[in-house]
Amino acid sequence: MLYLQLFVDGVVSGCAIGLVSISFSYFYSVTGTFHVAHAGIYTLCGYVAWALVAAGAPFIAALMLAVLAGALSGYATQHVLYQRLADRQASPLVMMIASIGLLTVLQNIVAIVFSPNIVQFDMPWRVGHLDIAGVTLSHPQALIALVSIVIFVGLTVFSARTDLGKRIRAIASNAELAEITRLDPKRVFAYVLAISSAIVAVPAVLVGVDQAMQPYTSLIVLLTAVVAMIAGGIGSLPGAFGMSIVLAVIQSLSVALIPGRWSIAAVFGIFILFILLKPEGLFRRRFSRAL
Amino acid sequence: MRMGLFSKAVMLLTALASAPSAFAQPKELLIGALLPLTGPAAPIGIEERNGVQFAVDEVNAAGGAAGVPVRVIFDDSQGKPDQAVLSFNRMLDLHSVPVIITAYSSISLAIAPLATRREVLVVNPAAQTNKLEKASPFLINTIPLVNAEARVLARYAVDKIGKKAAIIYENAAAGIDGATDFRKYFEAVGGQIIAEEPVEFGQTNYRATLLKIAAAKPDFVYIAITQSQAAMADQIGQVANFPVGIGNTFSSPFFGFKSTEGWYQTGIQSGQLEPAKVSSFKEKLKVEEMGFFAREYYNATKIILKAAEALIASGRPVTGAALRDKIQEIKTFSSPVATITFEDNNASRPVEILQYRGDKRVLLEAVNPTR
Repeated sequence: MLYLQLFVDGVVSGCAIGLVSISFSYFYSVTGTFHVAHAGIYTLCGYVAWALVAAGAPFIAALMLAVLAGALSGYATQHVLYQRLADRQASPLVMMIASIGLLTVLQNIVAIVFSPNIVQFDMPWRVGHLDIAGVTLSHPQALIALVSIVIFVGLTVFSARTDLGKRIRAIASNAELAEITRLDPKRVFAYVLAISSAIVAVPAVLVGVDQAMQPYTSLIVLLTAVVAMIAGGIGSLPGAFGMSIVLAVIQSLSVALIPGRWSIAAVFGIFILFILLKPEGLFRRRFSRAL
Repeated sequence: MRMGLFSKAVMLLTALASAPSAFAQPKELLIGALLPLTGPAAPIGIEERNGVQFAVDEVNAAGGAAGVPVRVIFDDSQGKPDQAVLSFNRMLDLHSVPVIITAYSSISLAIAPLATRREVLVVNPAAQTNKLEKASPFLINTIPLVNAEARVLARYAVDKIGKKAAIIYENAAAGIDGATDFRKYFEAVGGQIIAEEPVEFGQTNYRATLLKIAAAKPDFVYIAITQSQAAMADQIGQVANFPVGIGNTFSSPFFGFKSTEGWYQTGIQSGQLEPAKVSSFKEKLKVEEMGFFAREYYNATKIILKAAEALIASGRPVTGAALRDKIQEIKTFSSPVATITFEDNNASRPVEILQYRGDKRVLLEAVNPTR
């Protein structure tokens, strides 16, 4: 029963990390920008929802407004920061350093504007739980699993079936050609970061509801998500989501076998193995950024 | 005429004798405070800053330390030893502070050798790692260290709770020391540790660790973490048959949860200030309560200022060495927060055993630990 509970907890954590991973992957695949500040937007959205709930807003409204805040900050980040740097021919390294700077700024803004404390949502239902065949699942955990799968399927369908989704894929395949054919990549990049940031708001809020939040710990979530993205094959949304679950389950189950301090090391050990043995990831035939 | 000359001579000699003290009196007394004002430890750092500032404001409102205005210079350690070393040097090079109030074991340990070299007094009001006991002749601890609490708790646990224990500890100086000391004293009095798991500083998901510990079926679990207690308490509520928990001063935030009913903790006796002062503190600093760290940092600042006041009043320069010697000379400092006695650089204060019962922490025993 211990192993089954650890497995289920791992699957739920993996679903949340999976949303971070697919949202990061979506933007990275299209633009090539290593958007470290994604972790900052994750933090910002979680605290926006927390502050709204603390101010008396219904949870659903707080979640929706956090998603909107994510979308707006993503759009603004691309428009104000990344696009300007790209216009000045900034190298990928410069873009990444700028992104790290933005992450630090966002974390400190959150700490100053909201709270530097570890905070929890004041909602009694969040400590309730379900017991299913001896496995315990908190209400927020159940919500995380359900909503994550819906969003993952939704993004996959959006990418494959909608006009904007197809346009994004076309730009990801060849940005220069897209520029010539008037697909307006600059505007689309901003849309993509808005979509990615809106998506990352959901695990930010739900994990915050399930556990707690503090301004400075989202980077480790992002790192795990990036490992999953690489292991799953850069540009493959099912690969990123699936590998997030696999890695989180390994991390959770490993605690039963080895001291907990090694569980994160186990995940990053797997990452090193992937980089050495299968750098293109499990679900892509070659190393590329294309969707 | 002779008497007049004699009187004048006496007056002149008196004036000459008192001249050095008049010249020695500083225009301003500077105190450094090196606290984690940003980063994961910022909530505690800000509470500590409030305590220091409130004590300094109180002394200044009463006319200063022996008439000398006091100013506190805050610097941000970010909770990181490397940053703390930079801040420490900045405080000395730019401001020549004779004393620095610090926070967190790793930071106090990092600056201890520098304090020795530069003869600056470092006052630690809250960090408890045992290594602080002899880290520097210029380091004074106003709170008993982890081993004092662990010794009292281990004895109580064997006598009243059980002999098979598990340990969950934060993988940082305070947590590691807490776990090491508890294991040492618990095994020395006949207890057995059957499971042990570290968690990371700032972690909020403890489910896997809690499940593993519960599966080991100990009589109780000793928990040594300094953050995220509320998140852990929530998750303990989802683990069937989780054993009773015990802990030290830093376990206080576990109080008040359904899942932690009946738990035990040791605590350093730390009383509240007078209601009027607490109200003033809350109003001035716009906070809801004067918590443990605010009280301890307030009290430590007052100890420093009392020693400084005595030095200034006697016309002696306020240096790190003079402050340390004066604190040890005064020896006992009594306030509503605590009665603290310094036999050496380390405070001696009673340790309490408390149990969570409903909305109260019930005092079961108070023990004066011997070193």
